[in-house]
Amino acid sequence: MNRHTVSFTVNDQPHEVEVEPRRLLADVLRENLGLTGTHLGCEHGVCGACTVLVDGQPQRSCLLFAVQLDGAEIETVEGLAADEQGFHPLQTAFWEKHGLQCGFCTPGFLMSSKELLERNPDPSDDEIREGLAGNLCRCTGYVHIVDAVRSAAEAIREEQR
Amino acid sequence: MTDQIETLAPRFFGQRVKRREDPRFLLGRAKYVDDIVRPGMLFASFVRSSEAHARVRGVDIADALALPGVVDVLTGEMIADTSHPIRSDSTMPTWQGTGFPALAIDKVRFVGEAVACVVAEDRYAVEDATEAVIPDLEPLTPVANMDQATAADAPLIHEDWEDNHFIKRHVETDGFDEALDAAPHRSSHRFVMARHTGMPLENRGCIAEWDSAKGELTLWTATQIPHLVRTGLADALQIPENRIRVIAPDVGGGFGIKGHLFPEELSCSIMAIRTGRPVKWIEDRREHIIACIHAREHTHEVEVGYDDDGTILALKAHLQVDCGAYSVYPWTSTMDTGMALGILPGPYRIRNYYVDAESVATNKAPLGPYRGVARPAACFTIERTMDAVAEQLGLDPTEIRRRNLVRSDEFPYTSVTGLQYDSGSFIEALDLAMEKAGYQQWRERQQAAREEGRYLGIGVTTYTEQTAHTTQEFKKRGIPMVFGYETSMLRMDPSGQVTVNTSIHSHGQGLETTLAQIAADQLGVSLEDVRISFGDTSEVAYGSGTFASRSAVLAGGATDLAAGEIRAKLARIAAHLLEAAPEDIEFSGGRAYVAGSPDQGYSLAEIARMTHHNPQHIPEDEAPILESTRTYDASPGNGTFTNAALLLLVEVDAETGFVHLLDLVCVEDCGRIINPLIVDGQIQGGIAQGIGSALLEELVYDEDGQPLVTTLVDYLMPGTTDMPENFEIHHLETPSPFTVQGIKGMGEGGAIGPGALVASAVDDAIRPLTSGRVTSLPITPEKVRTLIEQG
Repeated sequence: MNRHTVSFTVNDQPHEVEVEPRRLLADVLRENLGLTGTHLGCEHGVCGACTVLVDGQPQRSCLLFAVQLDGAEIETVEGLAADEQGFHPLQTAFWEKHGLQCGFCTPGFLMSSKELLERNPDPSDDEIREGLAGNLCRCTGYVHIVDAVRSAAEAIREEQR
Repeated sequence: MTDQIETLAPRFFGQRVKRREDPRFLLGRAKYVDDIVRPGMLFASFVRSSEAHARVRGVDIADALALPGVVDVLTGEMIADTSHPIRSDSTMPTWQGTGFPALAIDKVRFVGEAVACVVAEDRYAVEDATEAVIPDLEPLTPVANMDQATAADAPLIHEDWEDNHFIKRHVETDGFDEALDAAPHRSSHRFVMARHTGMPLENRGCIAEWDSAKGELTLWTATQIPHLVRTGLADALQIPENRIRVIAPDVGGGFGIKGHLFPEELSCSIMAIRTGRPVKWIEDRREHIIACIHAREHTHEVEVGYDDDGTILALKAHLQVDCGAYSVYPWTSTMDTGMALGILPGPYRIRNYYVDAESVATNKAPLGPYRGVARPAACFTIERTMDAVAEQLGLDPTEIRRRNLVRSDEFPYTSVTGLQYDSGSFIEALDLAMEKAGYQQWRERQQAAREEGRYLGIGVTTYTEQTAHTTQEFKKRGIPMVFGYETSMLRMDPSGQVTVNTSIHSHGQGLETTLAQIAADQLGVSLEDVRISFGDTSEVAYGSGTFASRSAVLAGGATDLAAGEIRAKLARIAAHLLEAAPEDIEFSGGRAYVAGSPDQGYSLAEIARMTHHNPQHIPEDEAPILESTRTYDASPGNGTFTNAALLLLVEVDAETGFVHLLDLVCVEDCGRIINPLIVDGQIQGGIAQGIGSALLEELVYDEDGQPLVTTLVDYLMPGTTDMPENFEIHHLETPSPFTVQGIKGMGEGGAIGPGALVASAVDDAIRPLTSGRVTSLPITPEKVRTLIEQG
């Protein structure tokens, strides 16, 4: 099969990969680049576990081919923080509010929430639920996730004050 | 037991400690099985049956083998003589058993059954090659549901069986017929729970690796039960257990579904041995939906006898469970019927009971445990029955329950089926739920809404949850393996740090935190000083794993006992060094000291180092090692019983049939709580899954046994907007009189009640519009509309 060279940045690092046209962004992130924080739950665009930000917008990395992303800026969960000390307010809030159990869906929720709070820094609970309606979690029942996003929004607003 | 830690400070037990395992998940650095890469690794994929019931005439693998990157293709015929099928047999009368082969040999018995395994150099190549394998299947008449399976002329799914029953069971109390006949009122009901499943966000997956030099197999697999997988693999492959290492890494949700040995794990192991290279298989979602374990397909017919006050005098039940095509390892196909039969009377004082229960085989995916195992269906049936009796007598649904619930002064209470309810707060939980909800105000809101032409309804459900059942209970169930205990091996190293190796597995339950809380309290150290290790059979002592709401009780108990032993030894050594009596040694802040003189003591690091490196300073009769292994089986062994009461306010849109969840109040009593943050998370998650069972989730098959639900577009799971607008949890804490620390299990509880609860609320909402009642789950808008149209 013919191969294409694609260049993009992931978490501000430039990358160039040579891929088959059918190769998914999720597989490139996980296998070519070793960024296994992005998880695949359904590979048909429903569960949202594989959500990453592409040019600031949440996208399902299981529904994108890598060849579509030449020149794109991609952000994954690994870009949020290098360690516990540098946690993004969302990571701190998910930890404090117990917004995760098995952790499989968590990277997708963090990335969707990040974009949500950039777009709407002071969301109501309904807006948080609406904003995260594209991500499934099978463990938590979402109550603590909504608590975490609300709390992170407060922390970010406080930081910016 | 409990007095051992009363004196210790600081106390982590009972605190809302945030989870110690979280940073690796939040940083994207957890290691699930698909994140693991082995040198030279191949990828596996399965060719699956498109027929529900067919004879395998052959499998053409020639084209697939010729494709680029393909390394090997395996069929059932090729391994029929060398690998044993997975077998899990009950020891009870009437049992008819099955072998579940790694790959189908003579027949396929459900759509999705693995027919061939292909391995290739990468995942894309193996998917291409899978399509090139051509199974030659001669269709047989499919047996797609329990009616077809139990018909007089039904084709046999397993040809050496007498009929399509795994097992038939019957239990009857003395004088039952007379008791039922004497009841002033009787009514009959039929309740159905649709087939659905746990659907963890991470699909199944494994990597098998064969070390030909040592003759040793390593299997990384997404499982809740690493040791039981090892035993099952050893039996099937005829490799000694000490040559098999099973590692369960981070696991993305289990819910019972990942508590099995699967045929795919066998095939990958065989492929690793054949090719001499590591073989990875990662299931896709379609495979998971059609070929993994399904759950909870129950049909219950009941007849209930009661008096004018609503006291239940007799309960007769006929329970049927569609168990699919094969008996599952290690549970057998008796689990759902056995549990439903035992727990159907629930938290109520029912003394006359008659039950027939059947596990029926069909040409569908095998049925296995999913969070709650039969209790959601049993709760649905008994609670719907309570609602029906209340309605017939004109009683409030909370009142009928209060009149029949076991009272606090009756514990320990032995149920009609012989279960000993150790302690509880059945009526107190209901009262507190009503108080917290403002039950009367809800009734007023309902009335006001009706006057505006809106349909609000109030649902009520109470239940008891058998948890942490061990030897006595599993012995009774006739399962070949009695899941009687768990083990913790606790070690303090020369630096004074503590490692707990435990036989359970944590995949969301927060046991890396709760077990550390228990160990840290015993030893007076910080949580950071305790490392919890599990999942690797070469590191931890043998045990069953995590299921049946047992890990906090059993591994918690074992950890407490082992830590207590180390504490006692540290006290003896410290006493020797300080010339004091061991009983005068106290522990806190990582130090051991003479009571009342905190300065007169040693840090645990100093004692640990001295024990290992300067044993001349410790008592002569003490071995220079700080290690203890303890098992715990939570005697008397038929479980410790958690209870809950739930109230729910819904609004039903009469035009669309859509059910909107407004307010939910849960009062749960799971004994002494180790970590309220984690307990609340478990309740919320369980209730969310229960809401899925109540309103959304169904695995539909057609009359030919073809699955009609194959993606998450068809299989709807609750999302953020499906949850109640307001969700309150309150706790009562009635300790178990039997368990270490009075802990009860609670992991499954949340999932038990919502089916009954939502049905109760929907009926209450649409009562002015129809005489019909909800009798089956899920309650789709279409079903609600049908009831309303019936009028």
